[in-house]
Amino acid sequence: MAERFKLETGLTTARKVRPRRFGGDQILKGLVGAAAIFVVLLLIALGVELTEGASLSLTTFGPGFLIGTTWDPVHEIFGALPYIYGTLLTSALALLIGLPIGLGVAIFLTEKVRGSKLFGYALGTLVELLAAVPSVIYGLWGLFFLSPVLKTYVETPLHAYLGFVPLFASVPFGLDFFTAGIILAIMIIPTVSAVSRDILNAVPNSQREAMYSLGATHWEVIRRSVLPYARSGIFGATILGLGRAVGETMAVTFVIGNTPRITASLFSGGYTLSAVIANEFAEASYPLYVSALIEIGLILFGLALIINLFARLLIWRMTRTTRFRV
Amino acid sequence: MQTSRKAVSGTTIALVVVIVIVIAGFGAYVAFYTPGPTTVTSVSTSVSTSVATSVATSVSTSVATSVSTATSVSTSVSTSVSTSVTTATSTYLAAATINGAGGTLVFPLMSSWIFGFTQVQPNIEVNYSPVGSGAGIAQITAGTVNFGESDAPLKTSQYAALPNGSTLLTIPVSASGVVPAYNIPGISSTTHLNFTGNVLAGIFLGDITAWNAPAIAALNPGATLPSNPIVVVHRSDGSGTMYAFTQYLSDSNATWRTKVGFSTSVDWPTGIGCKGNAGVAGCIANTQYSIGPLEIAYQIQNPGAINYGAVQNHAGHFVLANLTNINLAVQAGASSGLPAGNAQWSSFSIINNIFNDSMDTQVYPVTTFTYALVYQSLSASYAGTSNAQAVGLVNFLWWVVNSGQNAGKNIGYPSLPANVVTLDDTTLNSITYNGTPILGS
Repeated sequence: MAERFKLETGLTTARKVRPRRFGGDQILKGLVGAAAIFVVLLLIALGVELTEGASLSLTTFGPGFLIGTTWDPVHEIFGALPYIYGTLLTSALALLIGLPIGLGVAIFLTEKVRGSKLFGYALGTLVELLAAVPSVIYGLWGLFFLSPVLKTYVETPLHAYLGFVPLFASVPFGLDFFTAGIILAIMIIPTVSAVSRDILNAVPNSQREAMYSLGATHWEVIRRSVLPYARSGIFGATILGLGRAVGETMAVTFVIGNTPRITASLFSGGYTLSAVIANEFAEASYPLYVSALIEIGLILFGLALIINLFARLLIWRMTRTTRFRV
Repeated sequence: MQTSRKAVSGTTIALVVVIVIVIAGFGAYVAFYTPGPTTVTSVSTSVSTSVATSVATSVSTSVATSVSTATSVSTSVSTSVSTSVTTATSTYLAAATINGAGGTLVFPLMSSWIFGFTQVQPNIEVNYSPVGSGAGIAQITAGTVNFGESDAPLKTSQYAALPNGSTLLTIPVSASGVVPAYNIPGISSTTHLNFTGNVLAGIFLGDITAWNAPAIAALNPGATLPSNPIVVVHRSDGSGTMYAFTQYLSDSNATWRTKVGFSTSVDWPTGIGCKGNAGVAGCIANTQYSIGPLEIAYQIQNPGAINYGAVQNHAGHFVLANLTNINLAVQAGASSGLPAGNAQWSSFSIINNIFNDSMDTQVYPVTTFTYALVYQSLSASYAGTSNAQAVGLVNFLWWVVNSGQNAGKNIGYPSLPANVVTLDDTTLNSITYNGTPILGS
């Protein structure tokens, strides 16, 4: 048998092929491996540098820094809780508003305009153009246009009629958590919609056809078979959007009012981790102040890591137990 | 195996070559083109005319070099050049690049100084980064710039952080005032509300919450104040303007002094923070019934944009800030008690000096110096400073203190009084390079 193959094709199935000692494969593997290791090293180096810079503040304040509510550069008392609260609140608000809209755009583009490629392409490109706008522009637009509009048409009526609800209890001035949340929502819509679109396109048609054959309406098909199938992917898109919202600096600092405050009211000014670093780092005039700001950066870094790890864990658990695994 | 690759078409190659040539040509133009002398015929009536008349300059200056130094936001820096005949020719100093960093308060003035100085010494290039007073102090301490600029003098702890054995000189180069700007729809622009330091402290502490509060109404019997709540606006970034304002509030109100204190960045009890002087002005303009501290230069450059109020000085007068009364405040506050240039200026303050001065009726109480910071002994071991750089730096500062003081008139900066100029001259004369004084006299 082996001989026959050798005569006809010049190859044998029985011959063991020894890999070349130093060929293109090795070089490629080496380079790609080096790139991967480099990224990991970069991450570790970032963490080490941040911890080193924050060491003075870590030793001075200890864990009290995370729950301290005073930020007083004159009396040298620093606490990060208002900023953590601001970051979490604005990101949550951004997700609450941006996720349904982004997902809606993705569903519309994949389910409703499947036939018309040009329209789908045009609309999809326009949505993704939102991501191309620099965040400073969002900040300026928010400060000069969106904030007065929201204040006059949304916040003031809400405060007037529903002022007894703690969410709307403060007198609105336009520069508050609410406006910042809306700006962030606009900024994460393109991310969420682009990734969700890819996820939804990857759902096999067999899923849809099966539901149709059972007599489901279009909406029921989407709700009961497409979305659950794409659940983990959509969750990943959410985390990507959340990652952008957590780290966003310039757009937020223009419209959030820059006052460190913990309050349930959405119409009160606030502050986020990234905004305080942007505002105060240039003027931090003594080592403890600089160290406290670097510790804020360390907290932000840790927050982003934790969110991503948590998301990965959840996705792993979801794909492990879902009924829709292929 | 058949290859499915098409050969690259000739058109593509041609396009690529053309694009490469265009980019290379543009790059060469930018890098190598040195513009010859051209006559600038347009003359504008702003700052540069006063600068140009105060220095001897040749008839024309190339537009390109003037544009490269006047890279500021201020609209008053123009490219106009006086067409006066050269009256004196000075020997030009050796070429050097000088870098400085510091507060934003003096940035428009610094831009016009750099422009004016370049007329006199075209070989010296001065770069200034308005990164904030604290950053200016940090950078001069670290030795990454040739001179720092700050609206607040160094604190004792900052003097202690300087390199061992070095002496940092503090040179007042200009002054400014802080006004309480507000936006109240019912009050006309001709009415200027009156404030005292105590009332301002109460507003910024959050104790006085409505515009028609008795404390404010008592000071303004003629005005109909609305009952709306006061929205407090302050700077979100550190600022010399806030340093001066909080110092004034600390002097006026004991609660503010203990609770908040004064610094470039403080823990504001209430209010929203906006970035930069322009940010504060924008926030005040966009928010009705708001009040915030704003630098007087901004007011003068944008007249009528925002209303501001008068502040009561210790003589009991309500003074509406303008260049005249700020000048008077500087003269009164700096008439005595000025430390030597190489001493520590941590406890010097015009605001404190005139706070209890009940004789001067026209001084504006919220006035502050702004300082240039330079090391006394320059040498190559300090940030690689060359002799040319040291000479250029000292000459620049000398020009600023002696010849450049008129430059600020149209944009809202007062000029230094004579005794401060004398002090600064003495300080500048003491700067040495490798042990020898730079300015011969």
